[in-house]
Order: sequence, then structure tokens, then C-alpha cells
Amino acid sequence: MRWLALIWKSLMRSKRRTLLIVGSLVLSVFTVAVLQSLLTTLNAVTDNPNSSNRLVVRHKSGLTQMLPRAYEAYLRQQPEVETVCALQWFGGYYQDPRNFFANFASDEATLFETFREEFGTAGITEAQMKEYIRDGAGCIVGESLAKKNGWKVGDVVPLTGTIFPINPRLTIRLIFKSPKPSDENVLHFHTKLLEEGVPRMKGLVGSFWVRAHRPEDIPRFLERVDRHYANSAYETLTETENSFNLAFVKMLGNIGAIIQGITAAVVVAILIVTGNTMATAIRERTTEIAVFRAMGFSAGRVLSLLLAEGVLLVGVGGLLGVLLANLAANAVRGTLGAAMPFFADFAIQPATAMACMAGALGIGVLATFIPAYAATRRPITEGLRAVG
Amino acid sequence: MAGDRFDLGGGEPIITLRDIAKSYWREELEIPVLQGIDLEIPTGAYIALMGPSGSGKTTLLNLLAGIDRPTGGSLEVCGHELNDLDDDHLAAWRNAHVGFIFQNYNLVPVLNAFENVELPLLITGAGRGERRDRVDHVLQLVNLMDRKFNYPRQLSGGQEQRVAIARAIVTDPDLLVADEPTGALDAKNAEEVLALMERLNTELGKTIVMVTHDPKAAHHARHQIHLEKGVLDRTVEVNR
Repeated sequence: MRWLALIWKSLMRSKRRTLLIVGSLVLSVFTVAVLQSLLTTLNAVTDNPNSSNRLVVRHKSGLTQMLPRAYEAYLRQQPEVETVCALQWFGGYYQDPRNFFANFASDEATLFETFREEFGTAGITEAQMKEYIRDGAGCIVGESLAKKNGWKVGDVVPLTGTIFPINPRLTIRLIFKSPKPSDENVLHFHTKLLEEGVPRMKGLVGSFWVRAHRPEDIPRFLERVDRHYANSAYETLTETENSFNLAFVKMLGNIGAIIQGITAAVVVAILIVTGNTMATAIRERTTEIAVFRAMGFSAGRVLSLLLAEGVLLVGVGGLLGVLLANLAANAVRGTLGAAMPFFADFAIQPATAMACMAGALGIGVLATFIPAYAATRRPITEGLRAVG
Repeated sequence: MAGDRFDLGGGEPIITLRDIAKSYWREELEIPVLQGIDLEIPTGAYIALMGPSGSGKTTLLNLLAGIDRPTGGSLEVCGHELNDLDDDHLAAWRNAHVGFIFQNYNLVPVLNAFENVELPLLITGAGRGERRDRVDHVLQLVNLMDRKFNYPRQLSGGQEQRVAIARAIVTDPDLLVADEPTGALDAKNAEEVLALMERLNTELGKTIVMVTHDPKAAHHARHQIHLEKGVLDRTVEVNR
């Protein structure tokens, strides 16, 4: 018999209790891992290193208000600006309303330059870009989206508009790869197509995405643009891309506080449950612990054995919880990833998995230590109930 | 104050008690359990500690087995002054020198007979092969080789106590302490266990100190020591 076998057999003396506590640990670790990973994913949306020198210029009153296309000329004239891309959320779907993904009408000429990190332009040839720019009814799609729908270059994608009363039929001219999966769940087509199909959109666009030469140019530019259009019919709100994305995340409420609150509640609950279970399990073994010590096991060795039981118990629960969370993350990526692009990046990060395991093991040690320490400090004779 | 010296004669003493006292405290109240115990027990003795309930016999057994500490006096067992040993050294000393036999056997229910007997060897540093050989040897000695993979719930009371005896002797201790070893057994099984303990004493030379209420069990010992209200009352040599 080895030590591990002794510890395992001790744990298995009450299979039902062990399974129940492992089950509650799996559920707790799963919940915490998923919620913390969700927070990490949302934070990544608002902390994208690629967008350090990109800005968004939009109507001050909200995203549904348009800006004149003519603003583009002023923006281009600013010394800090490298390029400008007009972008309009189209909100169409392919075949079925449930088959929803991000799709935009955008400036074909400046799109690649403005979002060069996302397009992974190294894999795109000049000829491919030209082919897209030349074809007014062309579109480009990310590889994940193309794979999901079985599209290839040359296929025609009929989009059904939900915000605008047009149903463009778009020919795929380019399928691009991107370093981040979330950036591949997107389709772009020419703004001209929208302007021609929807008269009220003539000369208007939802937002301008501006690429500055250097990040340090941004504060000066922000302030100047908004001051320039102050008190006009179309006042602007200029902000960094990260702060623009943050506005979307904030629509979900103070999700960070909610997630941390739930995490804290789960941790406290599981600490109480595990502590109570371990205390009961150890109390039931008072005589056995006394017998071990009578046979020559030191108090420290018995304490180590009991702690090892607690750690093994939560270790198994924690590991299963993390594995389950990982499976769930894969499923979320595959299902919600296309509809909500940030979910395409949803994963249980190694740091989150490690933190969950460390937390679980910490709970195991904490929940076991107090009853185990008390049990090993108890006089052997008391444990044996042997006062004669 | 020391009482009369009880010397059981024979060879080199394995246990020497000098003016041993033990008290318990209930809040502010001191309850003396043992007082002025002076006793020498020679190596190879087989002692039955007897006396009415509350006379201090189990307390005395616990003291000389090193699982309790006296409040006064000195206690030398198997060549070690137990008062000088800290808790960890005392634990190691017990593992090397003392085997325990309990009234309720106290086997670990989730371990089979082999594993229960192997337990004290886990902390001796013995290798796996050596542990297996020693466990097999003592299981043969108690005639339970055919039950070595049975769990306690699959054994009779007598068999459980024999496994407990095997566990007590597997480290080859000098001293066996037994607290009412037949208290939970029927007459037939009790007789078998007592016969086995007698063999351990006569054939293997183990010194045995047994607490018992049962005169029949006490008759298997070579000496009976009677306690009365925490003091040694008398010793009786058993004629067999």
C-alpha cells in the first residue's frame, strides 16, 4: 500500500459524500472559471493593443444618428491622421435571422490600411485587394465565417437587411485570416452599395474610423475634432476605439462587479460546504486518528494525511471543473462566436485555469486544516475514549 | 509520596515506574487518578492489570504505553525515560517499541486485513517487499493468511481481533499493551485470542500488559496487579 492509496481509500469511505462534495466543487469551479474568463474576454475587447492608435468619430447623440460623409475631408486634413475609413453597421443576416454575424458597409479603399492588424494583410495579395475594390457588389469575409457557412471565393452571399430595406447579393472576392478568431466573424461590402440602395443614406455614414500616425497624437486630435463640430447640426463624439468598445460592454451593466460578486459568493459558499464536510468526516474518525497516533504516526504526519485528503478532494473537483469549463468555452465559441464576435475569442485562459485550481486547493487546505489540526491536537486517550 | 515498591522479580526490567502520579482537572477541581505508583516489570512478563472501574488501570496502561503523560514521577520503558521525549519522539518510540490491542479492535474499515496490518510499517522506512514479507509472516502467525484481502466487515469479531494482534506485533515491539482485548468477544473467540497472546509471550518473548475485568482472561497472565482507588493494592502470581 502506498500513501496515495491510503489517502484515496480514506476519501472513498463515504462514496456518496465524496461524490456530492466533488460535484459541488466541479460546479463551483466551473462557474468561477466561466465567469472569470468572460470577464477576461470582455476586458480584452476594451483593451485591444491593435487599436492603440485608432479612433472612432460618431454622432454625439448616439450610434443611431448619422454623420455627413463630407466630414471625412476635414478629418483627412488633420496632421495626426494617417487614414480614415467610413463604416456603417448593416445588421443583415444570411438565410435565417438566427444566422446572425457582424456585417458592415465600409470604405473599400481604406479598409485594409485602417484595420491592417485585423486583416493579417501579409496573406492578402495586391491583386485580391484590387479585385474587391473593383467589384462594387463584392465583399470580403473572415475565414471562420466562410468556413461556418461553407463559402468560398466567387460565391454569392444574399444578405437580408434588418435595419435598411435592401437585400444585397454580394460576391465573395476575398477570404481573410486574422490573428484573433473574433475578427474573422465579419463581412464587409462597399458603402456605395448602401448609399445607392437606401436614398436616406446618401452622403451619410454612421462612423469614421481614424488611424493616427502615433498614439501620442490622439488626445490633441480628439479635442480638436469635437470642438470643430461643436454647435453644428451634426456634433461629434470622438473617442479611442477601446473606449468606443467599452460603451458596448457597459450596456451589459457593471458586469465586472457582478461577476466578482458572484465569484466571491461561490467561493464563500464552497468554503463553508467543504469545511463542514471535512469537519464531519474528520469528527467521525476521531478514534481512528487516535489509533494512528498510538501506532506511532506523529501529529504532524496525521495532519499531513488529512490535508492531503482535502487537497486531493478539491484537486479532483477543481480539475474536473476546469475541464468542463473548457468544453463549455469551446461550445460557446462554436455557437455564439459568429453572432457576438467577442465570444469567438472566449476561452478559459491558462492563467484563469491556474487561478481556479490554486483557489480550489487553497479552499481545500483552509477547509481541512482547522478540523484536522483540532483532531491531531486532541489527546490520544480522549480519542480512544479510554479513561479507566 | 511513593507507595510500596512492587517488584515482580525475574530479569532485567522493561518498565520501571517511580512515584508515578496522574491527575485530571475538571475546571478548578483536581481529580487524582493514580498516586505513588512504584513498579518494576521484567522483560518477558505477562501482566494482568485488574481493579474496579475508576481504579486507574487504563490510565496506568496509557502511561506506560506512552500515549499519556504522568503529572508526577518518572517512567522508564524499553530503556527510555518517557518524560524526556517530546511528542514526535514519543510517537517514534511507540512505533518501535509498543504494540496496541484494543477492546473494539479499531481496524480501519476501508483497508483490508493486509493493509491494516501494514499500517504501522508505513512509517518505519521499510521497503515494499520487506513490508509484504513481515505482514505475511504475522498473518501466518495469527492464522489468517486466507483472510488477508478481507475487509473488517467480512471478518468475525475473533478474526478482527487477530488482525489487530497481527498489526500490534508487525513492527516486532518489545511491549504489547492490551485494553480489555476479549471484552467484545464470545467465550470461544476470547479463548482463542488469549491463547494467541500467551503464545506471543512464551514463544516470542513479548512483554504483555493487559487490562481486564475478566478473571478468566487474567488467569492467562503470569502476574496479576490489582489497583484500588489509584494505588497499587497487591500483586498475585498466577499458578497455571
